[in-house]
Amino acid sequence: MGAALLAIGGGAFLVLRRTVRAAKPRNPLLVLSLDEYAIFAAVAARVVAVDGDSPSTDAVDVAGRADAAMALWPGSVQVEFRRLLRLFENALTGAVFRQGFATFTASTAREQDARLRLWSRSDVAVFRTGYQAMKRLACACYYAAPETWPATGYPGPPELPFATEAE
Amino acid sequence: MRLLSPDHPIPNVMRGHEIRSNLSLWADVCVVGSGPGGAIAAARLAASGARVILLEEGGVFTRKADFHMQEAEAYPKLYQDHGNRATDDLGITILQGRGVGGGTLVNWTTCFRTPEATLALWRERHGLVDFTAERFSPHWIEVESRLNIREVDPSEVNDHNAVLLEGAKKLGIETELLKRNVTACLHTGYCGMGCPTNAKRGMALTYLPDAASRGARVYADCRVVRLALDARKERVTAAEAEVLDPAMDRPTGHRVTVSAERFVVAGGAINSPALLLKSGVPDPHGRVGKRTFFHPVVATVAVFDKRIDPFYGAPQSVASHAFIERPGKTGFFLEVPPLHPMLASLALPGFGEAHRGGMKQLSKTSAVIALLRDGFLAGDEGGTVSLREAGGRLSIRYPLAESHREAMREAMKVSARIQLAAGAREVRTLHRDPVVITSERDLAAIDGRPMGPNEIAVFTAHQMGGCAAGADPAASVVDGNLRHHHLSNLWVFDGSVFPTSLGVNPQLSILGIVSAAAERMIATKS
Repeated sequence: MGAALLAIGGGAFLVLRRTVRAAKPRNPLLVLSLDEYAIFAAVAARVVAVDGDSPSTDAVDVAGRADAAMALWPGSVQVEFRRLLRLFENALTGAVFRQGFATFTASTAREQDARLRLWSRSDVAVFRTGYQAMKRLACACYYAAPETWPATGYPGPPELPFATEAE
Repeated sequence: MRLLSPDHPIPNVMRGHEIRSNLSLWADVCVVGSGPGGAIAAARLAASGARVILLEEGGVFTRKADFHMQEAEAYPKLYQDHGNRATDDLGITILQGRGVGGGTLVNWTTCFRTPEATLALWRERHGLVDFTAERFSPHWIEVESRLNIREVDPSEVNDHNAVLLEGAKKLGIETELLKRNVTACLHTGYCGMGCPTNAKRGMALTYLPDAASRGARVYADCRVVRLALDARKERVTAAEAEVLDPAMDRPTGHRVTVSAERFVVAGGAINSPALLLKSGVPDPHGRVGKRTFFHPVVATVAVFDKRIDPFYGAPQSVASHAFIERPGKTGFFLEVPPLHPMLASLALPGFGEAHRGGMKQLSKTSAVIALLRDGFLAGDEGGTVSLREAGGRLSIRYPLAESHREAMREAMKVSARIQLAAGAREVRTLHRDPVVITSERDLAAIDGRPMGPNEIAVFTAHQMGGCAAGADPAASVVDGNLRHHHLSNLWVFDGSVFPTSLGVNPQLSILGIVSAAAERMIATKS
């Protein structure tokens, strides 16, 4: 079931609906395509959904950080995750969830949240798994960035005043 | 002030980028893996005069170069699968160390001897007749001395652990102060990212230098992909490793092949059974990879009106084993985890505003974790490790049984009561739809929440089993001496040999039990 669904993402991607490339990479991409980068950037923006107290996911370049992290993954895992992104973006997926024939990147924020919520609650395990995979990567890449810490109350690592003295 | 150990304590360690051709090596004993089992085995064997070569998949990491108290750096570098290891369905996040020193690089320094109840079960149900405290005690005493394992002083209990200590006390629930393997610890709180002061007495600072000082040679960035067997499949003839580029963790194309009289597999639960599967070792009863146990962890998070600062201080200094014996049910024990933004963000449920709301309160947040003692009930087989395709990726499965879910529900109720008693304003579960608890009457809602994969956050930091020890070859992989049932020159020396979980943090159990087994291995004629 999971493999078949992911194959939809890779093979039967609806060509009649295009990915909106709202986010542009800052650095040459190592794993993701430009479309996949834009899809993940859009997902991260809704997963983290910053307010005025925090830097945006684009400011932190969550998608760029994710691309760099993925470069260390085994090739087969990279392929699966990229398929997952394309499946999530797929307009057909929106139709399956009765959200109309819009790609994720072309949807409104409200529609995007609805799709994330439907995936997280789906009875189909691969959708819940896919949601978790995207959410975790987005959160990890965002909250690992020091500029996001003040909003959490985390002051950051302490100074180690003895280090040079001891050695 | 001389608090720090030398930054490169292991002489003659060879790293991946230094290996520029294929190497064919010979040793008396080849040890695969440098975590607690592999390290103490290498030290014992080298001390006996054996020529030891130790192969480690992970890299050499040091305080100065690598331990910068940054999650973004630590998890990809120091954890299996770059911090992404999980069950196939992502239902259980698996935190497991990787590097020279193995799990001791990143564990939270909690040390327990193996409980008598656990040893008794292994003797009675698994035929490990001489797994006794009397036999292991001399080894634990030596390890406790070498690793400076001491009970924390009450003054070392940070506000985060004090939630468990004080809340439990108010409810009459018994707790204990923990023992830690540290020297001159400054309580930074970053044990899980590699100790930034070298206070933690992990393997890279203790038994691995001990082994190296007796001539053992350590090869880092060398991933053993196969154990070669003789034609009759009675002995291992060589360990074949691919050399990894430490920068990208990709094979360089070079190989290291170690021929030896004897072999020790010590890759830890998950990796050790995986290596045996990849190597096609005899397994007539299909036991390799079975009975994999996780101490599955659920947590409750509580918000206080004051700062808890769960980022700092000795990560773990208090535990409760008051609920470990639950007749006919799965027992559990309670501890406290360090919380830093990245790891916390993975645990908190939901997304968007709901998730952000939890993150904003992180400095005032406490978490209590409940670790299930899995594998004790009859019929509790835990999870499995297998191969998705020949030589390829692992498949890790762990279906939660109803006995696990019952224990998780009860554990969450206990944890929430403790946090409320300690003064929490509000407690939440980590269900997809969290149960919000402000008083006792809210706890019943826990019973109604779904607990399938990805419907509640479940973690493991203690992996055990997969190469279970036992007297019966039809039900186990190694015998009571941790020697393979079918390959006469192969021993398995790590937590994968445990036939159940332990009910306590595993580091000291692995060290003591392997030390005793290594003693017997040395006494065994080749």
